[in-house]
Amino acid sequence: MKRVLRRLAWAAFVMWATVSVAFLVNNALPSDPARMVAGQQAPPAAVEKIRKQLGLDQPLRVQYVLFLRRLVHLGPSSIAGPSDPEHGSCANLGALHVDLGRSYQQQRPVTTILAERAPRTLLLAFTAAIVQALIGVTAGVIAAVKKRKTADRVAVGLSLLGVSAPTFVIGLLLQWVFAFKLRLFPIDGYGNTTAEHAASLVLPAVTLGVFGAAYYTRIVRDEMIGELSHDYVRTARAKGLGKAAVVVRHALRNATMPIVTIFGLEVGTLVGGAIITESVFRWPGIGSLSVNAMLDRDGPVIMGCVVVTSAVVVLSTLAVDLAYVILDPRVRRG
Amino acid sequence: MRSTRGRAEAPRGLVAATLALALALAFAPACSEKLPAPIPSASPEGAAPKRGGVLELATFGDVRSLDPANITDGLAPQIIEQVFAGLVDYDKDGTIQPDIAERWVIADEGKTYRFFLREGVRFHDGEEVTADDVKRSVERALHGSARNPAASYYSSIVGFDALDAKEAESLPGVVVEGRYVVAFHLSKRDATFLRVLAMLPLRPVCKSGGARTSASWHPCGAGPFKLPPNGWQRGQQLTVVRHDGYFRPGLPHLDGVRWTLHQNQSSQTFKFMRGDLDIVRDFATPELLRFQADPRWKPFATYDEAHQILGEAMNVQIPPFDNVEIRRAVAAGIDRDALRRIRASNLTATNQLVPPGVFGHDTDLHGQRSDYEAALEHMRRAGYPYDPVTKTGGWPHVIPYLVYKQGLQEFMGQVLAQQLEKIGLRIEIRIVNYPTFIALRGRRDATAFGPGFWLQDFPDALSFLEPIFHSKMIADEGTNNWSFYKNPRIDDLIDRAHEELDDERRKKLYSEAQEILTDDAPWAFSQNFRFYTQRQGYVRDHHSHPMWMHELKRTWLDRAAGPVAGRAIFSEKGLAALLGTDVRR
Repeated sequence: MKRVLRRLAWAAFVMWATVSVAFLVNNALPSDPARMVAGQQAPPAAVEKIRKQLGLDQPLRVQYVLFLRRLVHLGPSSIAGPSDPEHGSCANLGALHVDLGRSYQQQRPVTTILAERAPRTLLLAFTAAIVQALIGVTAGVIAAVKKRKTADRVAVGLSLLGVSAPTFVIGLLLQWVFAFKLRLFPIDGYGNTTAEHAASLVLPAVTLGVFGAAYYTRIVRDEMIGELSHDYVRTARAKGLGKAAVVVRHALRNATMPIVTIFGLEVGTLVGGAIITESVFRWPGIGSLSVNAMLDRDGPVIMGCVVVTSAVVVLSTLAVDLAYVILDPRVRRG
Repeated sequence: MRSTRGRAEAPRGLVAATLALALALAFAPACSEKLPAPIPSASPEGAAPKRGGVLELATFGDVRSLDPANITDGLAPQIIEQVFAGLVDYDKDGTIQPDIAERWVIADEGKTYRFFLREGVRFHDGEEVTADDVKRSVERALHGSARNPAASYYSSIVGFDALDAKEAESLPGVVVEGRYVVAFHLSKRDATFLRVLAMLPLRPVCKSGGARTSASWHPCGAGPFKLPPNGWQRGQQLTVVRHDGYFRPGLPHLDGVRWTLHQNQSSQTFKFMRGDLDIVRDFATPELLRFQADPRWKPFATYDEAHQILGEAMNVQIPPFDNVEIRRAVAAGIDRDALRRIRASNLTATNQLVPPGVFGHDTDLHGQRSDYEAALEHMRRAGYPYDPVTKTGGWPHVIPYLVYKQGLQEFMGQVLAQQLEKIGLRIEIRIVNYPTFIALRGRRDATAFGPGFWLQDFPDALSFLEPIFHSKMIADEGTNNWSFYKNPRIDDLIDRAHEELDDERRKKLYSEAQEILTDDAPWAFSQNFRFYTQRQGYVRDHHSHPMWMHELKRTWLDRAAGPVAGRAIFSEKGLAALLGTDVRR
C-alpha cells in the first residue's frame, strides 16, 4: 500500500512538472497567439484588442497562477451553463472541476474539445497496441520456435523493415494499396456510424502498430529463445507435454513480463505518437488536434493535450507497476 | 529485457535497400500510372441546369468559426459566403453587384450610402430580412466585444470609435429609414466602403444571432445554403444544404455542398481520381503537372487571376537596408524568372506591388527590373562595390534571412541566396515555424530581411498599399509593415486615394505610389501566386471566384457515370462493405 501511495505521489509530481514545463515553454516561444487568432493580415490594433480579450497582456506569472488555480478547483456540483463566467468552461466531477479554459481559435471549452477527441485517440492507440501485440507475439513465438529457419529469417527481416520505415510512408502505402486500389477501406476520416468507425480504424491502427509489432517480434523472439533453453522446458517435454503446450503455457507465460511492461508503456507512447498517423488518415483525435494547436499557438488546447497525454502516460506506467505486483510473486513479496 | 527499442541488429544498409526496393515497387505503379479520364457530363453543352446532388470539396485547412463577425481563417469565407447574403456582393469578376439590397444611392458627397432592400428576402429561420436586422448585425459585428479582426475596415462609419471602445452600445452612423431602407453615414469619404461592405463581416444574421456575438450561436443567415443542425463535425467535415427560401428564384441548383476538412493533398488527389471529389485546388506540384499535361483534363481546369504578391521585405531601419542603394541592388539583383521556375505552375514574375487581378494594377508601370549590371552599380553607389571576377567586396557581414519551415519561400530563399551572393550580399537562411516567423517579422528591430507576401482582402490596391506601407501601421509588435517603411509622400497618396471616389483619379494615385515604391524598394517585388483549380467534367457552371474561391450559386452536377469504380478490385467485397460502410465516401 505504501508503495502504491508513493507511486501515486510521484505520478502527481510528474504531472505537475510536465504541465508546468509545457506552460513555460509554450509561452517562451517567440510567437504571438493573438496574431494567430486575428489572422496574419489583421491590423495591429485588432491584434492588440484580441490580446487583451485573451488575457495575454498579463504578466506570465499571473497567467501561470491563473492557469493552475483554474486547472483543478472546487465549484458548485453542477455547471450553471455556458454563460456562467465562472464555470462555463469546466468539466465537473461532482464538486471537483477541471478547467482548461477556452480554445483561442474555436472559442469552445477545451474540456469539451478533449472529451470529443481523446476517446478517439485512445481507441486508436488501444487498437494499435492490440494489433502490435498480436502480430508481434505471434511472429516472435514463431521465429523463436523456428529459430534460424526460413520463418525466423522472414520474421526478423520484416521486423527490421517495420522499425526502419517511417510511419507516414507506411500510412501512404497502406492508403494507396488498401483504400485507393483495392477499396477495402475508406481512404481516411472517422465516419458517422459504428460500422464506418470500425472500417476507418483499420488502416490507421495497423499503421500505428507496425513499428511496435516489429519491435515486439524482436523482444518476444529473444525472450522466448531464452525461455525455451531453460531446464523446465526440457523437463516438461520429457514428461510428454506437447510442443505447443510447452511453448504457450510455460515458455510464453514466463516471457510475458517484458511484454506487459512494453504494452503498458506503449499505450502512452502510442497516444503521444499518434500525431503523424492521425494527420495522414485524418483521424480526429488528440494527435491532429495538438498539431493544429501548435501551428495556431492555441495555448489552452496545447495545455489540454499535454495534460491528457501526460496523464495517459503516467497512468499506464502506474498500471504496469500494478501489473507487476499481480504477475510476479517476487514483486508482491517486496 | 534484453533488447532496447530502436536498436538495429542487422546491417542497416541492407534494410534500407530492401525497404527502398519495396517502396519503389509499391509506388511505381502510382507514379507511372496514367490518369483516369474525367467523368463526363450527361448532357450536352447548353443544356438546362438540373437540380440536385451534393458537391464534394476538400481542403487541408480547418474552419474556426462560421460567424461573419469573427473570420480568422482562410477557409471560412468560402463557406460563410454560401450561408450569409450581404447587402452587396462580388460577382465572379470581382465587380460589386446588388444582393439583398436591390439598389443603393450615394449622397452627401460620398459620405452617405443609402440601401434599398428587396422585399421578401428570408433568413434560414423563415424571418424576413429588414433594415433593423441590417443595423443589428452591423452593431453586433463592430461592437468592441466582438473578436472581429476586420472591424477597422469600417472605421469611417459615424460612431465607430465609441462602439469599438465599448463606450457606446449603438452606431449612430447606421440609420433605419424604413422597413427596407437603411443608410450608412460616414465621417469622411471612403473609396473602399462598398468594397469592404461586400466583404463578409457585416452580413445580416438571424435574430438568433442576437445583439452581440456568442461562440455558441448556430450560424444562420439569408444565403443560398444553410447549415443544418449537425452539419459541422469539427475537424472532419462540414455540409451546407439548399435554402429553399433563397430570394433568387430557382437557385441554388445543388442540394448541398460538403467540405471534407483536414484532408492532405495526396488523399484529395486519390479521391478526385476515384471520382469521390468533384473539385480540387490543393494539389502537390507533381500531381498538378500531371493533370496540366493531360489534354483530357484541360477543358476542366482554370487558373485564378493573381491576387497575391510575393517579394522580399527589407527592414529599412536595420543595416544594410537603411541604405536605399542596397535595397535597389536587391530589387535589381534578383532573377525573377529563375525564382518563378521554382513553382512555375503557380507563380508568375512581377515587377510591381499590385497583382494583375486587383484594381490599381498598372500595365504601363516600368516597375522593378532584374538587371545584374544595375545591381552591381547600386552596390557601388552604396559604398560596397563587388567584383564578380575576384568575388571580393560587397557588404562585409552576413545578413540573416528569416523564413518559415516548409513554405514555398523556404525553397525560394535557397535560390535567392545564390543570386544575392553574386552582387556581394551574403545571406544566412534561418528557418523557424510559421507562428514564430509572423511574430518576429512584425516586431521592430527583430529581423532585417525575409520573404514578404500579401493576399488581397478586397480587390483594390489600397488593400495592399495601406497595411504594408502606410506608416500608421507601424507598431513595436504585430505590424504588417514588415519594412518599417515610413514615407510621408506614400502616406499622403494612400490617404488621398482612400477618399478619392473617382476610379480613374484613384488609379493615378496608385500608380504614383507604385513608382515611389519601385524606386525606394522597401520590398523587392517578385512573384504573383495563382491557384489552379481542376474539376470533374460533370461539374457545370462552376467558376473560380476572386474573393470566395468558388462561385456555387449556379453550379450544377450532371454526372454521366459513377466513380471510376470499375478500376477497383474488391469494390463491393471489402471489409467496409461487409460492415455496411460506403467506402466511396
